[in-house]
Amino acid sequence: MALSAQDKILYVANKLGLSTLGQMQGSTGAVYDVDTDVSGQIFSSASRHQNPGVTNITENQFEVNEALLIENISFYVKNAAGDTLNFQNVYGSNAVILYDLVIGNKRVMKDTPVFAAGSPYTFANTGNIQKVNIDESLNPAFNPRHQTFLEGAGILIPPQVQWYVDYRIFNVVTGATIAASDETAIGCYLFGTRVLLNFNTTI
Amino acid sequence: MSQVGKLGFVDSKLGAPTSGQQTTRILFNTIEAPGTTSSLSFFKNFQGLTNGQTNLTQNKLDSMESMVIKTIWLTQFQSSGELEAIGGLVQQTLSVIVGNQTVVKNLPIQFNQGINGQAFDRLHENGGSSTNEVAFANPIIQTAMPCEIRLLTDIVIPPQVAFEVRIESNAGVYGSGAVVCALAGYGKIFSAGSSF
Repeated sequence: MALSAQDKILYVANKLGLSTLGQMQGSTGAVYDVDTDVSGQIFSSASRHQNPGVTNITENQFEVNEALLIENISFYVKNAAGDTLNFQNVYGSNAVILYDLVIGNKRVMKDTPVFAAGSPYTFANTGNIQKVNIDESLNPAFNPRHQTFLEGAGILIPPQVQWYVDYRIFNVVTGATIAASDETAIGCYLFGTRVLLNFNTTI
Repeated sequence: MSQVGKLGFVDSKLGAPTSGQQTTRILFNTIEAPGTTSSLSFFKNFQGLTNGQTNLTQNKLDSMESMVIKTIWLTQFQSSGELEAIGGLVQQTLSVIVGNQTVVKNLPIQFNQGINGQAFDRLHENGGSSTNEVAFANPIIQTAMPCEIRLLTDIVIPPQVAFEVRIESNAGVYGSGAVVCALAGYGKIFSAGSSF
């Protein structure tokens, strides 16, 4: 039987000597931030960002006895007006984000691609569309998803350990790098099973 | 058996290290301007490719790394960046070779392309949220989607064993842009310390 999210959290907590993490409140959560400096790093400057317009964290580490088991990593674009946009709609289908996820001093996701055309795991498909009583000269267009669904049981960000995402953008056809700007800043969210500080309940 | 269990089982059978950082691994490789051909080999040629076109430098994983292939993903781009159906609409088969063994043999890929709506897996749907109607696709308006096949069994790439993905067809039209193949699944990367 596969390891559950709760089992994985308790396994890592035990390895790290976090004896009380199992007594905290289990939940579902996500953290997000945008690389507004266009520095190639997301979450590391979250403390300087508007909340919740740009980020929902005050620093890139969790409090005592709080944690997140990452099960889904997603990328998007935020423009200067603060609008959240689809990565493909801004950069084009041939763009690819290559990212690392670093927790503490350890790289836990390595050179992972997120294709603007629609990433693996998002099960994109243009089937099942048939035109009825519409203009035959038009074709349906899709907004692809830009996510990595983690296999196995996800990756844990433990309490009080800093994390960040390092990324670069390339043109997958030519291999050239693509520069971001204020109008095309890259954002990222990490979604998964959350542990919240609570004195009485268990996960 | 889960992906985690399968990878541990195969690694131990081969005497490969079972420690390391557990992660989700996506390997990819690009073939530039393939034109019209009956055969494509991915993860064979790395010469001249940048980090944006492949995340490997050779056709094998490092000595402390291994992974499970769970998803095979294919795309085709025009040189302008517009996404199009891979190989045109002709039927194509895909094989994965690990070491001297064919581990996926002549698997048809065209059904999962989406045009005919006959994907193998029952959860295969359009992953995008909103749709629009356009006359012509362009790089920022996509009317096709990548081809993706989720495998039913867990195929392991052990450390330091050469692997290759081969596509065969009767003159598939791959164009003057690029085709990309990605292999994704649970994996282990080198770690000097304990796992998170």
